[in-house]
Amino acid sequence: MILTQILKNVELFDGLTDSELDEVAAICDERRYRRGEIIAKQGEPGDEFFIVTQGFVEVLLEEPRRAVVNLGPGQLIGEMAVVDQGPRSATVQAVEEPTVVQVISRDEFEVLCQKHTRIGYIVIRNIAADLSFKLRHRNLSEK
Amino acid sequence: MVMYKVSYVVIGSNHPGGIANSDHRPYIHEQIRMGDTTFEIIEVFDLMPARGGFQYIHATCRAVPQEPEINSL
Repeated sequence: MILTQILKNVELFDGLTDSELDEVAAICDERRYRRGEIIAKQGEPGDEFFIVTQGFVEVLLEEPRRAVVNLGPGQLIGEMAVVDQGPRSATVQAVEEPTVVQVISRDEFEVLCQKHTRIGYIVIRNIAADLSFKLRHRNLSEK
Repeated sequence: MVMYKVSYVVIGSNHPGGIANSDHRPYIHEQIRMGDTTFEIIEVFDLMPARGGFQYIHATCRAVPQEPEINSL
């Protein structure tokens, strides 16, 4: 499937035009992981974020190690590094094979948002909505 | 095309559940897979109002007991 078509089905990019999706696709880099491979490690610096396009990942908190959520197709990982530029808040591990993600560098994303402020506004609004959804999921899971 | 962003909450085990997009609205008795485990959906409701091209769904599910492997002769 063409990358822009994949991105169209990702909430993060909901509201972007086809030409804006082309701009986003131009800064995406595909990575493939085997089951058990680590995508991001808690505490390490994070300068990129990820969109799961195939498979599932498990988000883990360390010490003691515990799973907090599984994220599948269309879901965003590592977005907190874009928002607050802090270290990774959790470890992320592939739990299906293959797990495929699209990777976007924070620096390239910021350049894109400065050049196309409408993209920046829509994507940041959608990141806020995604974080809100994750909180709602967690609240329901802990009932 | 409408996409469904689904919060899968697992009951009856310590599995943390998951979030994934689906191209159809989840339904009761549907089986879904996260990692090595298969789950059956037992409850579905709208979690938030639809926005843009997305509908936001909650699905409660429970793990489907795995049948023991049968060795071929």
